[in-house]
Amino acid sequence: MPFKFISNSERFLKIIFGVSLFVVLVMGGVAYRYIKELSNSINDVQHNYQVHIELEKMLSALKDAESGKRGFIISQDSTFLLPLLSSNQQIENSLEELKKLTLKDPQQQENIAELKEKIDKSLAIFEKTLQLSIANNPDSREFIAGFREGRQTMNSVRFKINEMTAHENDVLGLAKEKSVRRLSNAPMLLYYVLILSLLILLLTYLQISKNLKVLKVKNELLETFKKSTTQSEVISKHGNWIWHVEEDVYEYSDNLFRLLGEEPQSFEPNLENYLSFVHPDDVEKLSEHVSQMIEHEDLPFIHYRIIQKNGSIKHFKAYAKILVDADGYKRLLGTTADITDEIENYRLIEKRNLELERSNKELSSFNYVASHDLQEPLRKIQTFLSRLEDKEKDNLSNSGKLYIERIKASSSRMRSLIDDLLQFSRTNKSEEALEDSNINILIEAAKTDLAEIIADKKARIIVDDIPSMRAIPFQIKQLFLNLLSNSLKYSRENTSPFITVSYSKTNASDVPKVSHTKYNVFHTITIMDKGIGFDQDYAEKIFVLFNRLHNKNEYSGTGIGLSICKKIVENHNGYIIAKGEVGVGATFTIYLPIT
Amino acid sequence: MREDYTYVVLADDDEDDRLFFIEAFEELKIQTKVEVYKDGIELMCALNQPEAVLPNILFLDLNMPKKSGLECLIEIKENNRFKDIAIAIYSTSASEEDIENTFVQGANIYIKKPSAFNDLKKILSDVVTINWQYHTNGLNKDNFLLRL
Amino acid sequence: MKIFIKFDFTQFCSRILDEKLDELNIKYRMLNFGEIEFLEIVSPEKLKAFDLILKQYGIEKIENQKVILVQKIKDSLIDMVFNADDTNNVKSSVYLSEKLGHSYGYLANLFSEVTYTSIENFVILQRIEYAKSLITNTDFSLTEIAFKLQYSSVAHLSTQFKNTTGITPTTFQRIIAKRRSLKNTKE
Repeated sequence: MPFKFISNSERFLKIIFGVSLFVVLVMGGVAYRYIKELSNSINDVQHNYQVHIELEKMLSALKDAESGKRGFIISQDSTFLLPLLSSNQQIENSLEELKKLTLKDPQQQENIAELKEKIDKSLAIFEKTLQLSIANNPDSREFIAGFREGRQTMNSVRFKINEMTAHENDVLGLAKEKSVRRLSNAPMLLYYVLILSLLILLLTYLQISKNLKVLKVKNELLETFKKSTTQSEVISKHGNWIWHVEEDVYEYSDNLFRLLGEEPQSFEPNLENYLSFVHPDDVEKLSEHVSQMIEHEDLPFIHYRIIQKNGSIKHFKAYAKILVDADGYKRLLGTTADITDEIENYRLIEKRNLELERSNKELSSFNYVASHDLQEPLRKIQTFLSRLEDKEKDNLSNSGKLYIERIKASSSRMRSLIDDLLQFSRTNKSEEALEDSNINILIEAAKTDLAEIIADKKARIIVDDIPSMRAIPFQIKQLFLNLLSNSLKYSRENTSPFITVSYSKTNASDVPKVSHTKYNVFHTITIMDKGIGFDQDYAEKIFVLFNRLHNKNEYSGTGIGLSICKKIVENHNGYIIAKGEVGVGATFTIYLPIT
Repeated sequence: MREDYTYVVLADDDEDDRLFFIEAFEELKIQTKVEVYKDGIELMCALNQPEAVLPNILFLDLNMPKKSGLECLIEIKENNRFKDIAIAIYSTSASEEDIENTFVQGANIYIKKPSAFNDLKKILSDVVTINWQYHTNGLNKDNFLLRL
Repeated sequence: MKIFIKFDFTQFCSRILDEKLDELNIKYRMLNFGEIEFLEIVSPEKLKAFDLILKQYGIEKIENQKVILVQKIKDSLIDMVFNADDTNNVKSSVYLSEKLGHSYGYLANLFSEVTYTSIENFVILQRIEYAKSLITNTDFSLTEIAFKLQYSSVAHLSTQFKNTTGITPTTFQRIIAKRRSLKNTKE
């Protein structure tokens, strides 16, 4: 199911999209966290560095002061005392700065307080020694003691600063260790997440490209379908239209325009424009149907005519059915077909049928002429001949009597020709209905008709018990009459004829010369005689109208009898087959379907 | 109970056939009275005379101008006054259905005009004899169907 | 002077018979020409007087024993046909001569002389008529009818039916059925 497939893949894509979105978000979060961490540690380092610098500044200021003092003491030059003042200021500033920097570190605050104390002490000593030096008392014990003390204090300051630097380094090292521990996993995790994202992306791509392929195939199919629809529309002369029920908007296919004799999409497809093509006599009918269509949203088969702009009238047939899609959107899908050819063909057939009927009527009136008008004068000739024979026999010369005999022979031959021809033309299927017929009785009736010849020739006719079957009784009687009289006629001289009529059943496949038939089993009636027979080469020919194997002087006959037999058997959807051997006899086999 | 003679009437437009008919009865040794009419209209006029003597057997040719034998037959069968007349259709030839139809319409006898005069005599004699037997032996005339 | 007259012999005789019978006070009915049915028992004296009167006009009463005997033959044959079951298929010749006490040859000759047909033909006609009435009035099949009428087979019945009437029993059946439906549609 393509639709299921597509909906499945759509859901699949949604899931993938969701997952990807989530992964990217997570990745972003993680990356943000790491970057934050990184900037924190940078801050730490910078902070550490500033603390260092301030401490160094302070130390160097102290050192400057120290060296200035020393210089003064040695040279007694007061210019050496100049940096002293700025150093004090510098130290004050640095201390303030340090205090700010290490606000969050109580240990350092404590250290700073301690340092300040030490610096103050050192500065006090410094001052004292400086005063002593100004008093020009550098060699005094007091001065030396002060000098030593200053040096000690200075060392303790230096020591404290070192201590503070070490503490700061410790703090930095701790932070570094912590952040290194945290940051060391980050690239790996990011890498994995990236790989995962790529994988998902790849998977999505595969899925989308697969879907695209399917869609492409489907699109091609749709395109082909559309083309074939267009083609079939053209070939079968129909057009499609859609009525969008809610918007009351129509869509016509190109061929619908063509059917109206217009260029495709050459006018706006709407009801009003369409009705302008409809035959004036049919407008009302069609409008009625359309209003019903609008009301019931359905259009049963309707017929109407249209007139193309070139004036030709076409017959249309239309049908439409409502289509409601999943969203409840209603469309009426319609098909309109041009059935002009159909109707014209139908009219043609009707006309032909009428012609056929007329010619059939003519034929049957010809039959009547043959039966009545032709027979009447002949009958009179014969009757007058018989009168002549009865009344005037004695007045006729021998040749006169001979001529009368000849006329009699000719007229009786003409009579049998007319009779047989009539029989042949009357042997029609439509005239009689099939009924359950006792075949034995019909054969008996045929024998009764032939009683005279049978008695004359001392013929023996043996008939099997034949089951009754659906047949046209008088035709079946005629069939046996013709076949039996045929056998009696072509009997061997000086031998009394012996005819057997036997019955059996035959499967369709065993019926000779029959390739296909809708019946399975056949009644099989065989009429066999031991007469003069005939050459097997003529087995088919003997059934042809007016075909005779013998000169009419040898055997009387019109050459119609067996044609009638064939016609009768064919009327019963059966087959008749002749088999013969000269001097041995003839066999006629009749196959009649068991219905 | 026998009647003196059988009264037969023929309606046939063919002059020769009327002649054969009259001659055949003349030669037959049956006491008959024969009357011929040359078409259906003439026949029906004669029969419809109030004091007309009705024939025992009426022979009708089927194919007659103006009024066919079948029309005469139907007209006669509709009139109860003619119920005792045996109707014989006397025709050149017809299909089996035509023959059956005339019987259904009430004909008693169907005769195909023979082509030998002696056959005609035999047939007419048979018709008169059998009709007479129906008459004298009180047989059911509804079942009187004869084809010759 | 010569005149031509035309007279109706039938009317003349009927007139005389009417007058004389009325004179004798005999109740009667004229059947066909030459046939009078007395509607009461007539005394031998009256009959004799009637004979004498008629003789004066050259009219003679036919003492026709032949006709009476033929009627007896017919009655016996009809009885034989309609009760075929009881007669054990005796030949009509034997049956008739035993029943009527005359030789078959005599009866046969007499029969053809009076009826213009043979006893055999009469029997066949009666049998076929019986078959017809069975076909039209009962539901018997042709086989049953053939058996009832002592035909050896349906074929034999059909053949004789066809020979006698010119049509087959089935055609007969069909015609009668169609006649009835035609009559029904007319009414």
